[in-house]
Amino acid sequence: MARTWDNHEEYELTSLEDAFMSEFKIAQRETNNVHVLELKGYLDAHTAPKLEEAFQNLLQSERYKIVVNCKDLSYISSAGLGVFMAFIEDVRKKQGDIKLTNMSPKVYNVFDLLGFPLIYEIFNNESDAVKKFFEKAR
Amino acid sequence: MKLRRVIYLGGAVLIILVVFTFDVIRKSVALEVGGLSTIRDVVILGAFVLVYLFLESRASSRSQTPIRTLGSVMVATLIMVVFGIGLATMGASNFDSKNDILIPIDYATIFVASLAGVTFGTFAVVTFRSLRDLVMFKRKKATRRNLLSFIAFTIAASGSTLWLNPLEENLVTTLLLALAVIGAIVNSFRLSWIVYLTKREKIFSLIYAFFLLIGFIVLDFLISQNVAINQALLYHSYPVKGFVSMVCLFGSTYFGMAFISTLFHLPTAEAFDRKTSEISSLHNLGRLVTQVFDFSELVDTVTSMTLQVCEARSSWLEIIHHDERNSAGPAQDSAGRPYAVQIASKQNISQEEIERVLSLRERTLRDTVVEGRKTIVIDDVAHNVHFRHVRKEKIPIGSMVIAPLVSHNVVMGILYATKSVEYGFFKDDVDVISAFADQATIAIENSRLIKKSIERERLMRELVLAQEMQRRLLPQVLPHMPGLQIDALSTPAFEVGGDYYDIVQLDDHRLGIVVGDVSGKGVSAAFYMSQVKGIFQAISKMYPSPREFMIHANDALLTSIDKRSFVSLIYAVIDSASGILILSRAGHCPMLHVSGETVRFIRPSGMGMGLRGGDLFAGALEETSLQLALGDVCIFYTDGITEARRGEEEFGYDRLLLAAQQSRTGSASMVKDHILDTVRSFTDHEASHDDLTVVVVKWLGHGTTTKNTN
Repeated sequence: MARTWDNHEEYELTSLEDAFMSEFKIAQRETNNVHVLELKGYLDAHTAPKLEEAFQNLLQSERYKIVVNCKDLSYISSAGLGVFMAFIEDVRKKQGDIKLTNMSPKVYNVFDLLGFPLIYEIFNNESDAVKKFFEKAR
Repeated sequence: MKLRRVIYLGGAVLIILVVFTFDVIRKSVALEVGGLSTIRDVVILGAFVLVYLFLESRASSRSQTPIRTLGSVMVATLIMVVFGIGLATMGASNFDSKNDILIPIDYATIFVASLAGVTFGTFAVVTFRSLRDLVMFKRKKATRRNLLSFIAFTIAASGSTLWLNPLEENLVTTLLLALAVIGAIVNSFRLSWIVYLTKREKIFSLIYAFFLLIGFIVLDFLISQNVAINQALLYHSYPVKGFVSMVCLFGSTYFGMAFISTLFHLPTAEAFDRKTSEISSLHNLGRLVTQVFDFSELVDTVTSMTLQVCEARSSWLEIIHHDERNSAGPAQDSAGRPYAVQIASKQNISQEEIERVLSLRERTLRDTVVEGRKTIVIDDVAHNVHFRHVRKEKIPIGSMVIAPLVSHNVVMGILYATKSVEYGFFKDDVDVISAFADQATIAIENSRLIKKSIERERLMRELVLAQEMQRRLLPQVLPHMPGLQIDALSTPAFEVGGDYYDIVQLDDHRLGIVVGDVSGKGVSAAFYMSQVKGIFQAISKMYPSPREFMIHANDALLTSIDKRSFVSLIYAVIDSASGILILSRAGHCPMLHVSGETVRFIRPSGMGMGLRGGDLFAGALEETSLQLALGDVCIFYTDGITEARRGEEEFGYDRLLLAAQQSRTGSASMVKDHILDTVRSFTDHEASHDDLTVVVVKWLGHGTTTKNTN
């Protein structure tokens, strides 16, 4: 775990891709100190640990402003939803948040059925979510 | 078999007696009929053939080792030597010779001659059989031919004397005898049995062969040079005498050769012994590999065999436990990752001694073996850099071999052998220790695999048990209630799952129906599922309102559920009398309501259980009331139905809706079956990747007689 923030993103991408050449991928970006995770493919019990690792790395480096862009997320299972639940409390304790954006209707339906919109802020596009962080900050 | 032997022996004895009687009569009556003595000789030969057959039928029951054969021949020979010398010194046989014919002087002479003839003849037969066994040991193609030639020449030489008088000489006989002698010499080179003797046996063999050589030389001398014996034998039977002298000659050449050959084999005896034990140890170890389940027995065998074969002073075997995460590849070792060492078996050395021997500097030596995966030989421990401390510690180790157990390019163990002398291990020792290490690797690997598969089997049995237990958590019999038809099915994707449904009778006209889905799959889901069952059974009757029930169930669940897990639940209470259905939904798939042509999802708001407590959960939770019409069907299900997949495509809500509509006029079981059939044909009977549950309720109205189907 001894690595500097400078090469963090690069490390993250390669390690995740190498570990699992499967149907789920995470890309990570940073805009104005807000960290964006782009999810792609199937998020289920098999791939959930990848997302968990990504969240863990963010929290360990004390990044609490997180936006999860679900533009290319084609499926999410209950195990995938569980990952969000695992970190939301810790993130909010540190005055951060996990905001979700760009969900397809099908994915949104899964979130909605379980009442996740009551727990998470869900936006149509990423910039709205990022903006929301700064509204709060002000 | 027994009768035959009696006949053989009895026949032989009878012949001897008859011949003796004949001799006595011949002496007193001076019988002289031409050809009669030839018949007599043939009959005597027949007697010895019977003796041979008798012995042959006896010996088949047990097999003799060469050294035992040698021993028994020696005893027989020594007895014969004593007997022969006794006979010679007595000088009891007195013959007159006249026209090459021997005439005994008195009856005692006849008796002595018969005794000598029978004894020497029998001895010759016994010796011949033993010699034959020795010659034929590890026979080759030519062995049999050579021996048979010798026998043929001997018999021919003896046979040619049938028509001769005892003191006559004949050119043919001499020629045949010469050939027989050559045969004896040729056969004397057949000494393969010596090679396979152990060192101890070789020493015995040397002593035996020496005495045998002397014994046969004495016998040769007695038969040919001592007048008394010579004449006695000649009188008794010329052919037998020929046979006896030929066998004695063969005996002396053969055992002479055996003596010399054993002498030459003696220096290499030890090496041969070792090779033999190496081979048998490897063989044993090889067999062990496939048999042994007991790990400690296995490693003990490896070390004790190392000790035995290399004549090592001490030996021990260490198992290297690599860090689990690092076991994937060999690169980790060179990176200096730690590994644990466990001494699995030790011989003639204590744990403390091992630690002292391998203290400090040796750490690097062990590393060298683990990294290099090569056998290391230390010829002079006291002068080796790694072992400067050993001399001080007064540990009597002169030389040492360290062999790695390599499996899949990873060192899984190390086999050590030590000797007290310097330069104690030769190349073949090192080879054999390496071979042991290889065998041990296979054996250890094997025993680990067996262990693993046993463990797996155990887990499988546990899972099957869990499956059975979970199946019992689902309703075994669906409750009967007039006016309602119910059918349900739940199948886990794996052995156990997180789907749950239950039906309770709240009172005489109300039924509570719950369907739930625990997040995740498999064992963890199954645990929460059983917890939900407990909660439902405990409080469903206390809170007849579905919403109330949900709120309290959520409170109960929140205390124990992991924060990344949750349960979706849908709960309906149906009044079979009024047809009123009250529904609450905690994050679960909406209920499908089929009423005539209309099919719709009923989706009151509500969040999953175990996510949030208190007001947030209660605030979000709605309760819907619904008046059912006669023949209305309510379908509860889990996302295993809607998310059933064919490739990328999901079964989805629309197909479910359609399937419900198509079968709405049928009974509850028909609706259930139709939905499941549709799902299955959609997925093309691929194994479903999710748990799957359907509960169908059909309201048939007031007082209708119902036929519930299970």
